[in-house]
Order: sequence, then structure tokens, then C-alpha cells
Amino acid sequence: MKTIATGSLTERPAERQARTLKFSGAWILNPVLLIYALLTLYPLLWLFISSFKSNQDFFGSPFALPSEWQFSNYTRAWEIGGIGSAFLNSVIVSVCSLALTLFLGTLTAFIVSRLQFRLKGVVMMLFVLGMLIPIHSTLVPLFILMKNIGILDTYASLILPYTAFELPVAIFVVAAYLTAFPKELEEAAMIDGNGYWGIFFRIIVPLAVPAMATVSILGFLRFWNDFAFALVFINDQALKTLPLSLSLFSDGYGTDYSLTMAAMSIAVIPTIIIYLLFQNSIMKGMVAGAVKG
Amino acid sequence: MAFTNRLRGFIAIGLLPALTVYLVFVIIPIVWSAYYGFFDWKGIGAASFLGFDNYAEALQDPVFWRALKNNMIIVVASILGQLPIALLLSMILRKSTRFHRFVRSAVFMPMVVSTVVIGLIWGYIYHPQIGILNVLLESMGLGSWIRDWLGDPGINMYSVSAPVIWANIGPYLIIFLSAIQNIPSEIEEAAKIDGAVKGKWLYLIVIPMIWDTIKVAIVLCISGSLKAFDLIFVMTGGGPAQSTELLATYMYNNTFEIFRYGYGSAVSTLIIIISMILVLGSQLLMRKRGME
Repeated sequence: MKTIATGSLTERPAERQARTLKFSGAWILNPVLLIYALLTLYPLLWLFISSFKSNQDFFGSPFALPSEWQFSNYTRAWEIGGIGSAFLNSVIVSVCSLALTLFLGTLTAFIVSRLQFRLKGVVMMLFVLGMLIPIHSTLVPLFILMKNIGILDTYASLILPYTAFELPVAIFVVAAYLTAFPKELEEAAMIDGNGYWGIFFRIIVPLAVPAMATVSILGFLRFWNDFAFALVFINDQALKTLPLSLSLFSDGYGTDYSLTMAAMSIAVIPTIIIYLLFQNSIMKGMVAGAVKG
Repeated sequence: MAFTNRLRGFIAIGLLPALTVYLVFVIIPIVWSAYYGFFDWKGIGAASFLGFDNYAEALQDPVFWRALKNNMIIVVASILGQLPIALLLSMILRKSTRFHRFVRSAVFMPMVVSTVVIGLIWGYIYHPQIGILNVLLESMGLGSWIRDWLGDPGINMYSVSAPVIWANIGPYLIIFLSAIQNIPSEIEEAAKIDGAVKGKWLYLIVIPMIWDTIKVAIVLCISGSLKAFDLIFVMTGGGPAQSTELLATYMYNNTFEIFRYGYGSAVSTLIIIISMILVLGSQLLMRKRGME
């Protein structure tokens, strides 16, 4: 590619033809790509712009910039709309699920990727199976199960299923990463006087940090954005997470569009910041998780 | 030996918590759901055994079949909408220039946004009175195109498919990009010297060479269609008059709106069976095609 781009006097006719083709192609392609990218981003841009408008502005000129920037929409959504408490619930549930997923996932990944035992194949197969199951088909039995053990309408009713469904991805990402290290790792640590727990906490966990980071970002996005589980398992107003509050909020405050737009922006901004910071690992990780799923 | 006993003890204790959480919240519910499907149960009081009645009722309900058909519309829209766009973009966006990376990021952006927010935004886009789509059409002099995008049963499945396609092109783009990067560069050079034009190159070289990746993408489209629940639940709730019902919204409405837990469980089990059949069936079909 590079040799063609720099060009040379000795280039063959076909190469020259390819270069002109590419050169003229970029003239048409790049504007088309730019328009495509802007069209993709537009619904989100429209959301952010609308979140600063007054209701009259929202109806009167839906495509224009706000005639007056209403920053108060955000404080109103946070306070009146109860988005503040939903935000806090989302943080609590996401952080606890993440901590549990990381600990259990890394421990399991260490065992299945670096230790030998008879039922290894069975354990691995069980976790693969989990990735094939359509999540929504478990809503009814999970609801009944949690009702029976009395954890419906608590943080645990979200944290435990989130962790359970994220474990397969976490295990596979961390296990794939851990298999790359030499086999003698545990033996050397053993000679230094470590038990298996010592090896896990002092050697494996520090080694696995990059893989755990990928798992964290993906897990956070999934937990933060989940709607189906929150819809079915949470009924208590005080425990509602952001996506759930938004879906109800937009009904209750149906006519106060500026408030709803600001609330939606509050929900979206953290994920967009994380996306902009960790783009590459999110793209790669999501694809790895998706392909395996 | 004490050493192996210690190892065994560590493995057992180490696996126990993860396996417990996983079995209790993922595997056992599936088995239970098949079992509950045999009962008539309202969530409270005694459950009475029905045998296969719930399953038979679902299979005889025209709404169940409409929901399945709607799921298939989402599958077809995803396969025909997402994959060709993603494939074309992956051909164009191979270089790592700043502009190309910007376009890739933009295409991927909707993936990190909550589906509830996406559903609400598109609800505003399609709104019959204040929706920006109708306002746009009006201002372009296309007033005759104005309609109730989510209310008209003739078109609303296509309306709800648009955001499904819009939001999910990103991962396929990245999958195809990495597959194309694995094609040996000599093949590309050879094709160029032979004067292969872009279109031909795509058709004759890229598609056959990444066929395995395309197969994976098709399976992902199929399983993804079963996940379209959130988006459509927020936009239409399956209505009006169950015209946008999906298997998952049908299951939800029967269970949590009219409290038929037994029936909802039977539908859940059918969803698992159907998704397994679709995924395995598509695999078999494509394998056959590949051998011929």
C-alpha cells in the first residue's frame, strides 16, 4: 500500500491505474463516510442538544441549537426526577457486581487454566453453555426463584444474576490471558513457600490485571445499561437503577421533555466518557465476548 | 500425598463459590422453567399440573407465531442491514488514519449507550406529532410520507428494525476488520496486479476468504434478535394490538402483566429451544453450502 502511495517512476501501469482509482475514490468516499458517521452520531447529538432546551424550544425548533442554554434541566432532573438516587443505585449495583465478577472469575480462570483436575472439561463446558442461553428466557424462573429465597427487590437480586451471567465471559477472557505464561510459575512460587492462595493473590492477580481491566470495562457497560433484569426484579422506587427509572420517568414526566432529555444524558455521559477513554479495549473485548457468545 | 490433597482442597474451595452462583442463577432457572411450564400457576396459591397444555396452547396461539415472525423480521433486517454495511465499511476503513478511526468510533458509539435511551430517542424520532422524522419530511415537502411510524401495524416492525440495525453495526465492523487484516497481503497485491477492481475483489476474494467470519456474524445476528427485547419494549411494549410483539415481550406480558407464571415459563422454554434450533440449523445449512 505504502509503495503505491509514494509512487515511483517504475510503477507498472496496473499500479498507476490502482493509484488513480484510489485517489479519485477518496474524493467521493471520504465525504460519504463523514456523512455516514454524522448520521450515526446524530441521534445522540440531538439528545445532548435537546437536553439544554426549554420545552417550547424543544417543540418549536427541534433541529436548532437551544435559544437559551438551560443548564437547570440537569439539576431539576437530578433532584425532582429522582435521577440522583437512581444514579447512586446504578453505581452500587455495578461496582458490587464488578467486584464479585472479578474475584470469582479470576479465581476460576486461574484454576481452569493452570491447574490439572479430572472434572475440568465438565466445568469448562458448563460455562460455555451459559453463553448460548438467551438471557430473557431466564427472567420468569429467576423471578420465582428469588421470590422464594426472599431476595426479590434487594440489591442482591441484581448483583447475583449480573455476576452469574458475566462469569463465562470473565473466565474465558482471563483464562486465555493466563495460559500464555510459563508452566514453571507455580512451582517457583511454591518453592518460595507460597500455598495456592498465596500464589493466587501474590502472583496470578497482579499478572492478570490487563485481562481484568478488559473484563471490568465490559462488565461495567453491561451492568450500567441493563434493563430487563431491573425491570422484573426491582419494584421498590428507592432501588431503581438508571435505565429502569428512565423508562418509567419518561411516562410520568411524559410532557416535560427537557427534563427527560437531561435525565437521559445523565445516564449516557458516564458510558461515553469510559468509551472515549478505553475505545480500543472495549471494541476488542466486546467482539471477543460476542464471538464466544 | 499431602501435596495433591492440598491441590484438591484448593480446587474444590476455589470453584465452589463461582459454580454455586452460576448454577443457581443460570443453569437451574432453565431446568425449572421447563418444569414450571407443566403447571397452571398464578404466582400465589397452589399450582395444578397440566402436562403439555401450556406448550400446546402457545403453539396454537396466533400471537405466538406473529411474535416468532416478528423475531424473524429482526433477524432478516439485521443480516441484510448490518452485515453488508459493516462489510463495506470494513473494506474502506482498513487504514488507521485519524479520519478512519473517527468513523469507526462513531459507528461503534451506539453500542455503549443503554438500549432504554436508544429506545426513548427513537421514540421521539418516530413520534406522530412531535417526532423529528415527520417534522423533517414536512419541511422537505414530503408531507405525504408522514405517518404514525410506530402505530401503523403495516410498517411498525420495519420502523423498530431501524434502530436495531443502527445500534449494532459496530461489532460486526470490528469483526470484519480483523478478519480482513488476516488475509495475506500477497493475495491483495496479486489481485491488484491482475487488475481486480474493488467490487470484484470484494466478491471474489474477500467474501470467500472471510466466509467463516461471516458465518459467525450470521449466528450472532440470529441470537441477537432474541435480545431485541429491551429496545422494542421501550418503544412499543409489543403494541399496538400486539403488532410488534416479540417472543420475549410475549413472554413478559403473559407472565408479569396477566400473571400466568406457568404459561410464561413454557414460553421461556420454547424461546430457548427455538434459539438453539435456529443457531444449530443455520450452522448446518452453511456447512452444507461450504462443502458443495
